[in-house]
Amino acid sequence: MRSFNLKIVTPHGVHFDGQAEGITVRTVGGDMSIWSGHVDAVTALGIGKAGVTVDGERRYAACSGGVLSVIKGDVTVLASTFEWAEEIDLERAREDLAKGKEELAAATDEKSVQLAKQRITRALVREGVKTGEI
Amino acid sequence: MAGGSTKEIKSRIKSVESTMQITKAMELVASSKLRKARERVEQARPYFLALYKTLNDIAASNTDFSSVYLVKRPVKKIGYVLIAGDRGLAGGYNNNMFKLFTQHKGDRDVCVIPVGKKAVDFCKRRNIEIITEDYALVEDITITACEEIGSIMSDLFKTGEIDEFYIGYTTFVSMLSQRSEMIQVLPIVNLNAEKDEKPKSVTEYEPDSETLFDLIVPQYTAGLAWGAVTESWASELAARRTAMDSASKNANEMVAQLSLQYNRARQAAITQEITEIVSGAGDA
Repeated sequence: MRSFNLKIVTPHGVHFDGQAEGITVRTVGGDMSIWSGHVDAVTALGIGKAGVTVDGERRYAACSGGVLSVIKGDVTVLASTFEWAEEIDLERAREDLAKGKEELAAATDEKSVQLAKQRITRALVREGVKTGEI
Repeated sequence: MAGGSTKEIKSRIKSVESTMQITKAMELVASSKLRKARERVEQARPYFLALYKTLNDIAASNTDFSSVYLVKRPVKKIGYVLIAGDRGLAGGYNNNMFKLFTQHKGDRDVCVIPVGKKAVDFCKRRNIEIITEDYALVEDITITACEEIGSIMSDLFKTGEIDEFYIGYTTFVSMLSQRSEMIQVLPIVNLNAEKDEKPKSVTEYEPDSETLFDLIVPQYTAGLAWGAVTESWASELAARRTAMDSASKNANEMVAQLSLQYNRARQAAITQEITEIVSGAGDA
């Protein structure tokens, strides 16, 4: 299969830099897959599972926030967070989930409800990616 | 009379020695913090560079200018994020930044989000309008704080209160070299505007470009702020380490010279005393 240049970067470092055959990410409007030869595109990322195909093998990750861009065939993912399945700490994800639920229960204004919901979603995604449930 | 001067020299040696202890301690503190700061820079730098380049590429390929963030407008007021240190004793670190800023702003109408105590003091002293003082401690700035700074920048730009945004920070080139820089954050400009011909391909925006830019610009500004803060923090520590290292060396030299002076004065005193005794004995 043809491949393209893929770069995945977050403030915590470079998570992937090399040739990939395909990438699927959760955007704000739903899942989106990019394969070689895609037209120039820009999209905002939501919180969800990401899949990257390298040498015919699919790797999964939890990814949240940021932007994906395809420029002249090169794909760049600039995410707020990006964790490969093997890097995810299941215990911490579950702790985060519990904390998020507490925050949601205690939240009074719109903003803190939003923040708590985001935390819960992120935790659920990480848990799901790790256990393979989503 | 010679006794008085030896005492004086001795007390000077003591004071230089205690200064040296302080400079040495500060150097050690800076070095140990620097290790962590450098790690952070190494992690954040690829993101910082990729973010800046990608967004500028996106701006370059944008043809409909439907987003307010991409459009240049007449500049009435300029906003700055000015990143300096929390304290001095870091060589020219703070001053270089302020010099660059003063030069860059000229006589234009500006307001500033100062990051770092020294930046806050500087703005107050010069009567420069301050947007918020919430980020006065550069050492404690987290990614979350940068996200807030990013939202402030995007909001002020979007509502039209500020027409251009810059970040003034110091790039960590190496342990011995740091460079003050000013980068334009908003509006997002096409860096290759002169070289590039008109974009040929049509870019797909998902969702539409207006919504999209509203979503990604706050993240972009936050990312740049974070990158700039990590770079500046490492630069400050490196600058302080170098400054304190040379201060310790100077102090060492001074102690050596003073010791020499002290020994000479002591010898002179002894010689004089002997002469006095001998001449006294001769008289008797």
